Amino acid sequence: MKKLLLVSLLALGAATVNAQDKPADPPLTITGSVDAYYKYDFSGQKTNIPTSFASDHNSISIGMVDLALKKKVGKASFVGELSFGPRGQAQSILPTPTGPGGAESYHIQNLYVSYDATDKLNLTLGYMGTFVGYEVISPVGNFNYSTSYLFTNGPFQNAGFKATYSFSSKASLMVGVFNDQWNVYTSVDKANTLGAQLFVSPVEGWTAYINFIYGKNRTITSGTVVDLTTAYQITDAFKLGLNAASYSASEGAGTGGYQGVALYPQLAVSSAVTLGLRGEYFKTKTGTLATFGPAPGESVTAITATANIKSGPLTFIPEFRIDNGSANSFVNSSGAATKSAQQFLLAAVYAF
Amino acid sequence: MKKVVIAVLLTMLSVGSVLAQTDTLALDDNNKIIYYQVVTQPASPADTLYNKVTLFLKKAYPKDRLKLVKLDKANSTLSATGGVLVSKKSMIAMHEDASVGFNFVIEVKDNKYRYWFTDFVVTPYERDRYANFVPVAGKSYPIEKASGKLSTDDYNGYLKKIVANCREIGVILKSYTNNKPIAVKQTQKKTAVPKEW
Repeated sequence: MKKLLLVSLLALGAATVNAQDKPADPPLTITGSVDAYYKYDFSGQKTNIPTSFASDHNSISIGMVDLALKKKVGKASFVGELSFGPRGQAQSILPTPTGPGGAESYHIQNLYVSYDATDKLNLTLGYMGTFVGYEVISPVGNFNYSTSYLFTNGPFQNAGFKATYSFSSKASLMVGVFNDQWNVYTSVDKANTLGAQLFVSPVEGWTAYINFIYGKNRTITSGTVVDLTTAYQITDAFKLGLNAASYSASEGAGTGGYQGVALYPQLAVSSAVTLGLRGEYFKTKTGTLATFGPAPGESVTAITATANIKSGPLTFIPEFRIDNGSANSFVNSSGAATKSAQQFLLAAVYAF
Repeated sequence: MKKVVIAVLLTMLSVGSVLAQTDTLALDDNNKIIYYQVVTQPASPADTLYNKVTLFLKKAYPKDRLKLVKLDKANSTLSATGGVLVSKKSMIAMHEDASVGFNFVIEVKDNKYRYWFTDFVVTPYERDRYANFVPVAGKSYPIEKASGKLSTDDYNGYLKKIVANCREIGVILKSYTNNKPIAVKQTQKKTAVPKEW
């Protein structure tokens, strides 16, 4: 009896001590998400709007299960993020000669090691989500479930080495050397792509990233991108985001490229519900290079109305989208070419 | 057997009362949440205490957790800012959910000092493209508004974390005023394997 009480009190003491202690290093962090969706294309077409993900028509489909591990000990940390499912595999990773859909390219979203050389200088080596653009592969990182033309045609990931220097909490500069091809683990020929990112936060709640990547390769997933990504939480309820980019194809991949701008106003109407729009103008430059979008010299304007309805870790995302092209870029219900396409989707994203 | 059951129940109740000990947080005259303590320190002149507290604020913590912002020797007052991370945990998953910033004020007199934490501000975290959890720009709010933004469990968890952090800082501060400073990194519980068993 006495022993039992003693053990219990010792356990209480230990709990109290632990509540007051500061662990020397944070424990292993495990996070991730799971997502699924239903999409209906109003023309009844299996493929119509060509942007990434949410691609299956009249089908209850899965996105991916995403698992990220992170650990930091002292100044050194790693992140390993694996995904399983269409969104994280064949829909976002380039096919490679090593297998259907890229047998060796599956699963990895982020895999890097990082070291804080000083309080202000961080060094990172590995395969990382790209620093370019507004939207990301993870559905947790996006407000809209469908994606923009700018996202679809830009880089998803870059393998390389980068150094980030923080001048203050309001400004930093990243420079890096990356492989010559985006979205794959290894270079085609060499690591000859240069990347840079200037981050500034002019006022509280406003962040702006000016991104630049330059590389030469014989494939489409290389070239020069100049990109501005910015967001401003103007009030507690209203946020405005902007992404503008211009891409010029790499030598060997063709001539041309794309340019575009997307605006992201979002209004929180309650603690659980936020309404948002994405208005995008995207143009394929004149040249020989084809994009996931309109033909060279043509453009498309896309309006997407989205709601995020949160219930704890679960977010429901109803979304309506209409795309209008300057030329007949889409297909109507009769199978004829047309200038517009509309779709509705309902997605569910669980984040942990 | 009955005695054992009663003992266990009593122990569980005592554990519960300790874990639910959030009464050290109070509302001040402006309806702001505050953690306030007065500590007696016999045979300690105010000047000595002032110097020890100054050393504490400069040395005890990394600056992202506690940073000295003002020394006011004329009024025997020292001010600092700080922050603490709040993590969301489940059986196997855990990630940063928010940081809570605060102001920390210490006043010294002969043989005693007092301190209070106030102006708690919650900054929610979100996942970035590199699978890190980072502060959301422009979404900070005072802890007094947190009950309307967080679930009840999360809100209580935030308050417990704040109290635990305030208590920890108070313990470390006392170790400095007692001339036996505890290095923060050494406060983690260690288990030694004895040679004899």
